[in-house]
Order: sequence, then structure tokens, then C-alpha cells
Amino acid sequence: MPDPKPALDSLPLKAHAAGLNFHYGDFHALKNIEMPIHDKRVTALIGPSGCGKSTFLRCFNRMHDLYPGNRYEGEIRLQPDNVNLLDRAVDPIEVRMRLSMVFQKPNPFPKTLFENVAYGLRVRGIKRRAVLEEKVEEALRGAALWNEVKDRLHEQAFNLSGGQQQRLCIARALATEPELLLFDEPTSALDPIATASIEELIAELKEKVTILIVTHNMQQAARVSDFTAYMYLGELIEFGWTDDIFIKPKNPQTEAYITGRFG
Amino acid sequence: MPNSEHLSRQYDSELEDIRSRVLQMGGLVESQILAAIECLASGNVELMAQVTDTDRRVNSCEVEIDEACSHVIARRQPAARDLRLIMAVSKIVTDLERTGDEAEKIARMARQIHGRGRLQIPRSADVSQAGQLAVAMLRRVLDAMARLDATEAERIIAEDVTIDDAFRGIVRQLVTYMMEDPRTISTALDIVWIAKAIERIGDHAKNVAEQIIYIVHGTDVRHTTREGHGEPDGAE
Amino acid sequence: MALQSAAEIRALIARHKRRDVIFGLFGILCLAIGLLTFATLFVDMLIDGYARLTPEFFTNFPSRRAGQAGILSAWVGTVMVMFVTAAVAVPLGVASGIYLEEYASKNWVTDVIEINISNLAGVPSIVYGLLALGLFVYQFGLGQSVATAGLTLALLILPVVIVATREAIRAIPAAIREAAYALGATRWQVVQGHILPYSMGGIMTGVIIGMARAIGETAPIITIGALTFIAFLPPSPVGAEFPFVSFEWLTSPFTVMPIQIFNWTSRPDPAFQANAAAAGFILVFMTLAMNGLAIWLRYRIRRNIKW
Repeated sequence: MPDPKPALDSLPLKAHAAGLNFHYGDFHALKNIEMPIHDKRVTALIGPSGCGKSTFLRCFNRMHDLYPGNRYEGEIRLQPDNVNLLDRAVDPIEVRMRLSMVFQKPNPFPKTLFENVAYGLRVRGIKRRAVLEEKVEEALRGAALWNEVKDRLHEQAFNLSGGQQQRLCIARALATEPELLLFDEPTSALDPIATASIEELIAELKEKVTILIVTHNMQQAARVSDFTAYMYLGELIEFGWTDDIFIKPKNPQTEAYITGRFG
Repeated sequence: MPNSEHLSRQYDSELEDIRSRVLQMGGLVESQILAAIECLASGNVELMAQVTDTDRRVNSCEVEIDEACSHVIARRQPAARDLRLIMAVSKIVTDLERTGDEAEKIARMARQIHGRGRLQIPRSADVSQAGQLAVAMLRRVLDAMARLDATEAERIIAEDVTIDDAFRGIVRQLVTYMMEDPRTISTALDIVWIAKAIERIGDHAKNVAEQIIYIVHGTDVRHTTREGHGEPDGAE
Repeated sequence: MALQSAAEIRALIARHKRRDVIFGLFGILCLAIGLLTFATLFVDMLIDGYARLTPEFFTNFPSRRAGQAGILSAWVGTVMVMFVTAAVAVPLGVASGIYLEEYASKNWVTDVIEINISNLAGVPSIVYGLLALGLFVYQFGLGQSVATAGLTLALLILPVVIVATREAIRAIPAAIREAAYALGATRWQVVQGHILPYSMGGIMTGVIIGMARAIGETAPIITIGALTFIAFLPPSPVGAEFPFVSFEWLTSPFTVMPIQIFNWTSRPDPAFQANAAAAGFILVFMTLAMNGLAIWLRYRIRRNIKW
């Protein structure tokens, strides 16, 4: 391999899931997941539909708390303060303030571009115009959207193209300076060119922030991630360097899935 | 290991096609070497033409298989074992093509030797024997390729030294001939070239064997000492 | 390969298209029956009452003489009652709808409440009148006043407002709601910043359609004992003297448009029938205007919202 890869346990951690079980009512959706999230790296979750990859992602910012009948067991410890995100005593709102999420379909609010990006700051009670303007610009630059929209910040977000809307959603997620950025199939509703620009952006973002991305596009996982985890039927089958997963997976099930032999 | 079929039958048949074409190409190369060695023993001119003719077919095989590999990469984005197979095949065909070139070289040298009209060719029996050894090695490696047998591939790699030893033996003895009778020098040198070509054939077979290990285990055993490449970490 | 020849396919298409045409004509006929009936009624009222549609008709009190009778007390009463209705039904209905959608946990209690709200929307309006008579008129001692009528009609349209609110909230995609929560917003921040603004179009439409229904209600108003003949106006809500605002009008006796119409149609003198037709025309016009407003509002508010 061109660059010798450091040993997994020598890398700094951003989060670590251990003994994670999740139930939707009677359905055991995640089974005893143990997985590290390395700091300032991109980790991709792949697997067939219904394997629990999105469910796992949504545990990180406690989205499941919004709906009744869901139950977590185990822990996801966020570093550096080692707080268990799933702890009942930890307020999900606090968790969501530290982590950000980008969704499957672009979902900008029916507000102006500016208000979309500023929303997370407004939720935190930031009202000063100068601060908001500075942070909005910074976030839009971070999402590689500033040059395209700087003259139309007060237009409706729905006037943007699909790819621009998704980058706006990324800017909205970045504005609050998250420690961990969650992507839930962020390009599944976009055309190949918009997809490429989002992937490019992900590669830039990992300099600053840890990224966890769910994708059902295996090639996308291979392109953007440093680590890949293959999940099947709620279990983590294999986790490793993306190169290893795609060139020499250890588990026959992983191999069957990524070579297209999955029946 | 998942030898079950892909969701796409078309993909399966494309990979299968590549594999069988490599084996076919191997078969051609094998017959080429046999003919070249026969040439050396008999001086049969027709066989020489056959060797050259076969080489053209081997070359076009290399081009076609490489093209089929590019096709699979572009259309199927192969991963894991499939990716390793494609990568390995594109290297294996290069080795096979070079093997063909060596066979042609043997045939050419044989023509030169027989052209001088000398009746007695020093050490020709030893050279033939080394040639048979190389052919057997190639045949076994193709067999291992057909069965994706990494254990056999390892054995073949280990046996490459036998041919190397044979080569050194031939050279040593030819040196004594040349010292005894300087008139044999030009023929002896030609024989050295032939022996060298046979030794190279053994090296190419070894390279193919290394690629087979890569296909099966995903470990790259090139440029490593023999001890390194056992079972990789729990893949099987 | 071909299952049928081109000629056969053409014949088949022609046959199928004939059926299209037949149903199209039938549909137009059905639509025409409804529309023509309504148009006839409307035009008939306009012809009968046209002569009475003078400015004085709006500024005169009812009178024993048909020629001098007007609808001043009736339309003022209607406006006041509607104001009370809206002021009570909108906050109650919208807040209940939001609570049920955003706050209430989904269990059998909320299911029962949901079913009951739908049922309430179907209760005959006279039953509300009976309830109001017992509760507001006698129990609370509000009497036969504007306040009683407003509260009664508010009760009547409350289920409509709640259902409209819930429907409008449900139309907001889950992804938008999740996006707001994912940024760390609390429930109230989500309701205030997103749910309310985005559902406002739907809520307003529901409210106005409810009001359009309430404006024509006669039975509950009669049940609570509204006067049918009233020759004075309730006290004005704004005065020239401090404190400029007065709520006395709430307790005042009143009449409303449908009661005035009802009163006139029950008189033998045909001149009063013309008055009733003119008032009926104005009532229908008011209803249509409110529906028009609902459509316009919905268009305005939804213009910037696309999902």
C-alpha cells in the first residue's frame, strides 16, 4: 500500500460505541454494536436497506427520542469529555447542540438562505446581527456555497438547485461548529455532478471535523471515507480501513456484499 | 469464500470469460515452449515458424484480456476478490506474454545453433530437461490458477530454485567446454542464452504464482522472503 | 410479434375514446345540475331582492313597513358575533391542535380524544344551541347576548379548527421538523419558529371555512333565544371618552342575518319576501367573500413553501 497505515488503536478517538442495542418497540434494530469513530476522519456505514445503518447514525444525536417506543442500551462515548450520549441523564438537546446532521433529502426551511444558516445560532440565543452575519458567511464558505449565493442571502432557500440546497443544509449544520457531523445518505436525491461536489466538500471538511456518513452507494463509501463499517441485520459485521474493506475484507459476508454477490 | 454467483449473471460470465481466456493463453504459451525445446533437439524449421506464429496469437491474447479487464473495471467497479482477480490477471498476462517471448528466443537460438551445422550440441540433454521442468512449472501454475489454489502456488514459488540451480549447473559445465575447446564458444554462448531464457520462464511462472496468492489471500508476497506469506489474518 | 394489427389497435382506441367522451358528458351534466341549481337560487334572490339593495337597506333598522325595513342591526350583530367566535375559537383550536400533534404522547387517550373531536364536528348544530342555553345562558348567566352567541358558534367550529390545524401541521414534512430538532431546538422553538409559520396557511383556511359555516347558522342562535326584531344597536366597542374601549356590547341583545331572514320569510306580506331575498343575497355574498379570502390567504402563505 502506498502510505503505511497506522495501527487502529493508535489513532485518536472522537467517539466510541460499545454494547449498543436499540429497540423499536419489539424490534431489535441494533445488536450489540461496538465501533470506534476516529477523530478528524470520515467513517462510512454501508449495508443493505434495513441493516440499521441509519438507525445507528440517528442514535448519535438522539433523533429516536422524538418518537415514542424507542429504547437504547449501552453507550456511545463522545470524546474528549467521555460523556455517554445515550445516558438518560444527558439532555438530547445538549447532544444535538454538539453534533450536527445532514439529511437524505435537502430539507432547507422555507425561509431565506440567511435565516436557514442562522437558525442553529438563533436557537442558541445569538441575536447580534454582526455575529450572525460573520458566522453565516463562515459556514457558507465552509460549505463551498458562499461565492454562489453571497448576493442573494435574502432570497428563499427553495430557489436554489438541489445540490445547492444540500450544501445550504451542510452550511446550516456547520454554522454551530459541531464536533461530529452526521450525514444520512446526503446525495441519494442528487444528480452525479451535485453528488461529486458534496463528496469533494466532505473531503475538505474532514480537516476540521469528524464525519460519520451513511451511504447505500458503495463506491461513494470507497471514495470519501477513511474507515468503512459493514452492517447487516442490525449487526456490525466488519469495521476497518476503507482500503482493506474494499480490497481484502476479512469477513465473507462483507466480501459478498461489496462484490455484488449479496442475494 | 463466496464462490456463489453475483446478482448480475452477466458480470459472472465476464469474469469467467477473463479467467478462461488467461488459461487459454497459458496453454498457448505452454505449447510454444514445448515446440521451442523440440526445435533445439531436432532443428525442425517448421516448428520454428510455428513458435513465431503462436507468439503473434499470444500477443493478441494479452491485448484482448487487458481490454476485457478495463471493461470490467469501467463498468462493474469490481471490489475485493473480483478487484484482486482483475489486477492480478492484468499482471499475469504480461508475465505470460514475456514467457512467450522467451520461447521465441529459444527457438531463434536453436535455429542459429543448427544453422552452424554442428552435429554435437554440448549439454543439450540438460537444457531439454531444464526446459521440461519449466514447462511443468508453468502447467502447474496454470492449474493452480484454474483452481485458485494458493497452497499449490506457494509450493511452486519454492520450487523455482530448482530451475535456478539447473541454470547455474549448465553454465558451470559450459564454461569447462569453452575452456577445453574455444571453437565451441559461440555455440556454448547460445546455449547459455537458452538456459537463461528457461530460467526466466521459471521466474515468470513464479510471478504468476505470487499473483494467485494475491487473488486468494489479498497479501502481496512479491519482494518478500519466503517465510512471510502464510495464511493472512483469518480471511479463510 | 404484434398481438393485434395496427387497424385493430386503432379500432380499439376509437372504442375506448368513445367511452371517454360519454363519461365526460355525463360529468358535465352532473356538475351542471349542482351549479345551475345554485345559480338559479342566487339569480332568483338577486331578481327578487334587487330593488331593495339600496344603501338605506344597510343603514335602516327593521320596520313594520317592508319598504323602510333594513338590516343594520342584523349585519352589525353578525359582525360582532363572528368577531367573538373567531377570538375564542382560533386560539383554543390552534393551541389544542398543536398540543395534540406536537406535545401529546401517542396512546389510547389521545386516540379517544382524536375520535371524539372528529365526532364533535358532526354533531347537529342545534345540540350546541341546547348546550349553550343550559351552560352559557342559565349557568353562567350570560343571557341572550352577543357573548353567548359568539361562544356557542365558537364551540361549533372548534372541532373544524382543531382538525384543520392538525392537518396543516401534518402536511409539514418530518424532515423539516427533524432538521430543526437536530439543531438543538426545543419543542416550543420548533413550534414557534417552524410549525406555526408553515402551517398558518392551512390553519387560516380552516378557520375561515369554519366561520363561513358559522355565519349562516340559525338553529343554535334561535335556541339560545336571540331576538328576531331589534331596533337598536349594541353599545359601540370604542368610545370618545376614557378608556375609549368598552366591552358592554358583549352583554347586549342582538340579532344576526339568518334570523332576520327567517323573520321576514315568515311574514305574509310579499314585500317582506323581497327583503328576505335581498338579505339572503348579501349573506351568500359574505360567505363567498370569506371563502375567496381563504383561497387568497392560502395562496399568499404557501407561495414560499414548496415540499
